[in-house]
Amino acid sequence: MKGDMYITRSSDEKVLNEAECGGAVASLFKFALETKRVDAVLAIKARGGNRYDGIPVLITKPEEVIETAGSLHCTSPNIARFLKEYLDGAFSLKIAVVVKPCDAKAIIELVKRTQINLDNLLLIGLNCTGTLPSAKSKRMMKEEFEVDPVDVVAEDLEDNKLTIRLKDGTEKEKDLAELEEKGYGRRENCRRCETNIPIMADVACGKWGTTDRNTTFIEVCSEKGGDFVEAAIEAGYIRVEQPTSDTIETREKKDKEAKELAQQWQEKDFASLKAMSTGERFNYWFGQFSRCIKCYGCRDACPICYCKDCYLEADRGLVDAGEVPPDIMFPMIRATHVMDSCVNCGQCQDVCPMELPLSRLIFLVNRELAGIFKYEPGMDIDALPPLRTYTDAELAVEGVELTF
Amino acid sequence: MSFEPKILGILCNWCSYAGADLAGTSRKKYSPNVRVVRVMCSGRVEPTFILKAFEKGADGVLICGCHPVDCHYAEGNYKVMRRIPLLKKMLSQLGIEDERVRLEWISASEGDRFASIVDEMTEQVRKLGPFPRNGGSNG
Repeated sequence: MKGDMYITRSSDEKVLNEAECGGAVASLFKFALETKRVDAVLAIKARGGNRYDGIPVLITKPEEVIETAGSLHCTSPNIARFLKEYLDGAFSLKIAVVVKPCDAKAIIELVKRTQINLDNLLLIGLNCTGTLPSAKSKRMMKEEFEVDPVDVVAEDLEDNKLTIRLKDGTEKEKDLAELEEKGYGRRENCRRCETNIPIMADVACGKWGTTDRNTTFIEVCSEKGGDFVEAAIEAGYIRVEQPTSDTIETREKKDKEAKELAQQWQEKDFASLKAMSTGERFNYWFGQFSRCIKCYGCRDACPICYCKDCYLEADRGLVDAGEVPPDIMFPMIRATHVMDSCVNCGQCQDVCPMELPLSRLIFLVNRELAGIFKYEPGMDIDALPPLRTYTDAELAVEGVELTF
Repeated sequence: MSFEPKILGILCNWCSYAGADLAGTSRKKYSPNVRVVRVMCSGRVEPTFILKAFEKGADGVLICGCHPVDCHYAEGNYKVMRRIPLLKKMLSQLGIEDERVRLEWISASEGDRFASIVDEMTEQVRKLGPFPRNGGSNG
């Protein structure tokens, strides 16, 4: 049932030993495939064993699930976009997808825009306090941890520390805040993200709330998730215990601390931009966007940008063909189209070859809008995007200002 | 010669255009800086129109629609009412003064009010100066 919480581990010895945190998630995927509840599982795999190159993979054979077990922290594929573009938005296939909170939010936003079919999806959410940028992480391993990046077999973010485990079994840890001061550590948008537990998915799995490292804490977040987990328990794929109220409290406390840290980063990152005068802002942003090469990477990567006939194409008459850098219209149109629903996935900034601070800009204005429209992107499947709706309160307004 | 702002006015066909027309038939004297484009409903106006106006040389954009509850198409004006704060937040973050975009509700009988709004906005945009173009800097 929605709201149920379990401490789980796989009942399969092999999965228990080879996977992380007791292999519950891997076993749930195997259950989904073996009982044909889904046609395929969409997960992330390290391409050729390279932990810094995670690629989405579609698995149809249950025995291949184990190859994707274990969180890859140093990579961030665009799951929502991949699902919408290359898997036909799950309109023709039943898929179980592993999702971080941002992936789940992006999928929910695309469902609202009828680009993804939620009925065919089983969203297995994973708790997340952030992922790290691939190339920078390799440098970080060399320069800060003084190890060969290839020797890292696992990473863990916990209690403001980044811990890595090497091939030979040794572990090294560093203070996350220190790393991030130096420009290493998590992706910029991850530092600002307040959504650590994916309650908008069908289940939320993570290690907060566990005391045994070989277990996974699962919270049921939807009726579909509840039915699925109960069936998996009955079929003997996972073993469960009830969490104590202490461990549940610990989980809430850790979530709250992570949220507070995220809010501090938001303030820090946005402070200098908000403190600028109008003239300074103009010079800063027009200066930044004069470096844009109009590669359309941001538009292609953004989950909210779903239009088949994009306004930014030359034939729409708003952005001239062959003009580089493009007129300021280009980023302004993109911003006005997505800022009300930005899920802070950070894909735009990741993909920009000129390293423009796109995620910083769009999430900043999104936070200001969230206060006006009272809309949190990706959280509630039933809340329409803010520009498609109006409230009764607005019907009573006399002036032009929105007051709720 | 002081700077003469070019302001694009986008007026809805029903209330606000009639209101502007009334200002004309009443022979009201007001600033000639607003160029009027008529749309069927203010709800047709989207941020891209306003941005395009700026790109093509406007220094300010005035959008006029029917008062809430009076929209000829029932809900059009509520839609524009949400789009404008969104646009203004984005513009002000990028360093463009959000006073360059103004939304007003004008009814068909408010000819005087239309004239005074045009005067007000012309003065405001005159003080702000020309719209900062690409490559230019905003003082």
